[in-house]
Amino acid sequence: MFPNRAAVESVGDAIELAPIKGRSLWADARARFFRNRAAVVALIALGLVGAFALFGGIFAQYEPDFVNFSLIGSNAYLGVPSTETGHYFGTDSNGRDLFARTVQGTGISLMVGIVGALVAVIVGTLYGATAGYYGGRVDGLMMRIVDVLMSIPFMFVLILMLVIFGRSIFMLFLGIGLISWLDMARIARGQTLTIKNKEFVEVAVAIGVHPAKIILRHIVPNLLGIVIVYATLLVPNMIIFESFISFLGLGVQEPATSLGALINEGSRTMQFGYYWQIGFPLFFFVVTIFAFFFVGDGLRDALDPKDR
Amino acid sequence: MLSFIFRRLAVAVPTLLILVVLSFVLMYSAPGGPFNSERPLPPEVLANIEAKYGLDQPFWKQIVNYVVSVVTQFDFGPSFQYKDRTVNDVIAQGFPVTLTYGFWSFVVAVTVGVSLGVAAAIRQNTWLDYLAVGISIGAQVLPNFVMAPILLLIFTLWLGWLPGGGWQGGQWQFLIMPVIALSTSYMASIARITRSSMLEVLNTNFIRTARAKGLPMRRVIWRHAMKPTMLPVLSYLGPAFVGMITGSVIIDVFFSTGGIGQFFVNSAFNRDYSVIMGITILVGTLTILFNLLVDILYAWLDPKIRY
Amino acid sequence: MALLDVKNLSVSFETGDGTVDAVKDITLSIAQGECLGIVGESGSGKSQTFLALMGLLARNGQATGSAKFGGQEMLNIGASAANKVRGNHVAMIFQDPLTALTPHLTVGQQMAEVLEVHSGISGRKARRICIEWLERVRIPEARHRIDQYPHQLSGGMRQRVMIAMAMVCKPKLLIADEPTTALDVTVQAEILDLMAALQKEEQTAIALITHDMGVVARLCDRVAVMRHGEYVEEGDVDTIFHAPKHAYTRMLLDAMPRIDQPSKELHIEAAPEKSILTVTDMEVQFDIRVNQGLFGKRVPLRAVDGVTFDLARRETLGIVGESGCGKSTLARAVLQLIPPTAGSVTWMGQKLDGLDRRGMLPHRKNLQIVFQDPLASLDPRMTIAASIAEPLQSFQPNLSAKERQKHVAEMMERVDLDPRMINRYPHELSGGQNQRVGIARAMINKPELVICDEAVSALDVSIQAQIIDLLKELQADMGLSMMFISHDLSVVRDISHRIMVLYLGRIVELTDRDTIYERPVHPYTQSLISAVPIPDPRIERTRQRLRLPGELPSPLDPGAGLRFLPSRRHSDPHYRPALQEVAPGHWVAEHDSIEAIMQAEEMRIAV
Repeated sequence: MFPNRAAVESVGDAIELAPIKGRSLWADARARFFRNRAAVVALIALGLVGAFALFGGIFAQYEPDFVNFSLIGSNAYLGVPSTETGHYFGTDSNGRDLFARTVQGTGISLMVGIVGALVAVIVGTLYGATAGYYGGRVDGLMMRIVDVLMSIPFMFVLILMLVIFGRSIFMLFLGIGLISWLDMARIARGQTLTIKNKEFVEVAVAIGVHPAKIILRHIVPNLLGIVIVYATLLVPNMIIFESFISFLGLGVQEPATSLGALINEGSRTMQFGYYWQIGFPLFFFVVTIFAFFFVGDGLRDALDPKDR
Repeated sequence: MLSFIFRRLAVAVPTLLILVVLSFVLMYSAPGGPFNSERPLPPEVLANIEAKYGLDQPFWKQIVNYVVSVVTQFDFGPSFQYKDRTVNDVIAQGFPVTLTYGFWSFVVAVTVGVSLGVAAAIRQNTWLDYLAVGISIGAQVLPNFVMAPILLLIFTLWLGWLPGGGWQGGQWQFLIMPVIALSTSYMASIARITRSSMLEVLNTNFIRTARAKGLPMRRVIWRHAMKPTMLPVLSYLGPAFVGMITGSVIIDVFFSTGGIGQFFVNSAFNRDYSVIMGITILVGTLTILFNLLVDILYAWLDPKIRY
Repeated sequence: MALLDVKNLSVSFETGDGTVDAVKDITLSIAQGECLGIVGESGSGKSQTFLALMGLLARNGQATGSAKFGGQEMLNIGASAANKVRGNHVAMIFQDPLTALTPHLTVGQQMAEVLEVHSGISGRKARRICIEWLERVRIPEARHRIDQYPHQLSGGMRQRVMIAMAMVCKPKLLIADEPTTALDVTVQAEILDLMAALQKEEQTAIALITHDMGVVARLCDRVAVMRHGEYVEEGDVDTIFHAPKHAYTRMLLDAMPRIDQPSKELHIEAAPEKSILTVTDMEVQFDIRVNQGLFGKRVPLRAVDGVTFDLARRETLGIVGESGCGKSTLARAVLQLIPPTAGSVTWMGQKLDGLDRRGMLPHRKNLQIVFQDPLASLDPRMTIAASIAEPLQSFQPNLSAKERQKHVAEMMERVDLDPRMINRYPHELSGGQNQRVGIARAMINKPELVICDEAVSALDVSIQAQIIDLLKELQADMGLSMMFISHDLSVVRDISHRIMVLYLGRIVELTDRDTIYERPVHPYTQSLISAVPIPDPRIERTRQRLRLPGELPSPLDPGAGLRFLPSRRHSDPHYRPALQEVAPGHWVAEHDSIEAIMQAEEMRIAV
């Protein structure tokens, strides 16, 4: 986060007078972020959801794929949430422990979201930054390709792919990653173009800094802020995306599950009054998405140079 | 202006071709597809396909056949599952349904979203603003597949006001929940974009000039601020359109409305590739046409693009 | 009774860091038909004063006190009451004509709505009045221009439209907020003339807000000087300029460079020996995309078109010209930051053109550049010490960290920066301080040549003077050569040994600094110099200006290159006027007589 800290500190030692402490843009942004109450609350909520997904399994009394046959058909009175039976969130219509399944679903949704966003950010940033840095015809061609890909309704292509090549987490990642890097590429390109044309980059060329060093010292740190913001905002979109596919029954395969699949299952038994079957997954879904959006918004307010 | 449209078309046509070829290649390489006889198909179906594509012909000829018949006759060929149905029949049955509630969803998302955003921006930091911002933030985490069960729970199971699904030729009772479920999250995004865009525009120098000229606020907003405010909203409409078309799959499945989404998902489970492809290409064409429309609107709003 | 009577006006802003008082207890008045200049540097609150009385403060702004216009209170009266006055009896024009007009409405639509709202005139009659006013502000082909969009007009033209729009309802008071700051000198001169004419013909009072003492001297009857939100002094223009009472006013006047008399001596004489830098027939060509035909097409633009000059050791060469003349491109091409299309650059006997990055590297140590925008030329995520140290890392990589720190600290002291500020970031410093950082970075390797590209243009006058003094001192200390690029002819005169005037990528005149101001030969140079306002009202009143008709042409206009040699236009449209030595060391491009040029221009406009 602080590429120049070493240099700064070493310079400081040589001066006898106590140097005035400077506040870097990162420090400013951090202060601004922590002043934003909604963002801080969201960050805490996100931490709790993460902890739930990671360590919730320890408290579960049952395995997520353990089917309690005695409960099938008697969900209404035996499968209700209760601390006595150990089914804290009740059971699903197949007699499986909903607590364990929610822990698993939250985990998988978070993982898909984060890995998908990561893939998108890495591919998109590299692609966009390359196009922006080289400019000219390369840029024109690369961005035209993005334009073309953007006007294809990828969800349909992805479903086609899932059907043809079979459903697997890998296909899901691939498909989600394939779709979502496009936006990131556009943003990264725009930002790179702006930074590249800033005079401090021109100065760096004029004082003989090596091109690789220019990218590492001057372009990447300045690009990082916007990338972090969009990565944070991309995660909830990825989760929504995965849930969408799982809701259709085309996503993760049984017995594994995700929040979207749980919501789908729960929505089918709503009419019988088994509200806990949709309630718990929906709660975790909404909290996670909310938290990511608020953290992303907070980061944007803190890092976006427009407000400065 | 005319050359501008031509230039956009010059991009749109290859995009469509890429889409068609891509789907065909995917289908061709599919395991269990008609092109590699792993799965026994009903002989009548096979005959239909044989007649259409000529399975013994080389790959490139099949592709050319397919593309030509799609482009020249809008003919997507026979179904791979049912002997007496073609893809065109499926589309003819489902598309009007999708179009109806899709259109209304779009109208609702745009009108409600824009009015909410404009109202919030003009009355910044008042209760109206907070309400609008609250609604748009809340609605953002309610994608269609969350909205649909919630609506069903409230309006059908608890209140009993609306039927839980079906279409019935598109009577209004059957239209309400699909439209709300499909439009809510896009309405929220449009409201957010409109609000921040309007706030930005209201801070520009030309709005200051307009105010310095002594124009009434209403005139400043409508005549000077509205068009530039709509530019970012307009560029969001393309993605929103794609999102809504995609979301229609959920609506069709959840509310059994009988639109193309339902056929799409059924075909996906049945491996009825030609239907999947046909619908994908149809949706792609719609998207591309819609983007063209957005571009033209853009040029109309911003004289700097108009050339 | 005064037309405008402002009493005890204060403006404050609520910000995240507490309340900021922008204007503190100001009292002023403007009489009918009078031009009052309000002068001050950035942050003096001069604009906020008038925005407050127009009811145009930002949302977090709060005004107290009283401002009476024609006896009617203007402060905090609400939008509907204010709308009866503003645009009707009081009109305002702003600094940046590029953004001040609504982009999607035509000039005519924007003008006519003022008439419609205030006078109820619309339709054909409104259009006629608008065209009349466009003609009065000397917009050529007004009938055609009225239906154009702002982006189709040049900057000067847009400011004329702004003035016409402000004047359609014949206001009693015109508030002009830095109306010419964003414009080229020749355009500025035209706009000032126009405002003076309107003041006389319409008896419109003008409140001219500016930082430029020269503009004040040319236009104003009375002057008020502001600083940090307070009034410093006020008086009629002669008193302020010739008998200023307050030290700040005197400082402002002293700091202002004057084109008619270089205030300060140069610190160092140029070495007479042969040149260290020779540029021969340099051309830089860009491909500009124009939207024509199906896919648009690329049109070559010659930003620099055959420039030849040399530079001696310890010499400063000033390069002046208006926007689009290629002066910044020339600087970058000399440093090979942009590859020149043709021509050669010889540095200390070695050719620079065609060298790759590796080949250029040893020369980069001696060739440095300082840019206009101090903030943009520093990496916002690096401390200023890290920025200053960066050239050391490139060229003296075996320095230890300690030695490097020592160098940086010394250099910071040398450019009058407190060495304790090493850990500061650019956004924590003022513009002047950041420019010192930029200079320190350029000088730390003791280069032979420093190019200053509009290095002082973004700074306030007082800071500007300090930075120029600093540059001169450093030049004397280190014995370096400089290329000093600026659009401001007065500044260039203060620092340069020789001056080169560029017009559309070509040299128009090149000679020593006194000759070019005292005996300019080329008509373009003459018109440029006569357009620069002199901060002395007595001189301004008697000055004769050479006005060339028409606007500064676009570099893409094919006929533009021969604007001063119209006799060649038909025989050889691509002719490049040759430089001729009219006196030893005084080079002037071929040109026709002024009468011939005027005649040709008039004809071009008429067509």
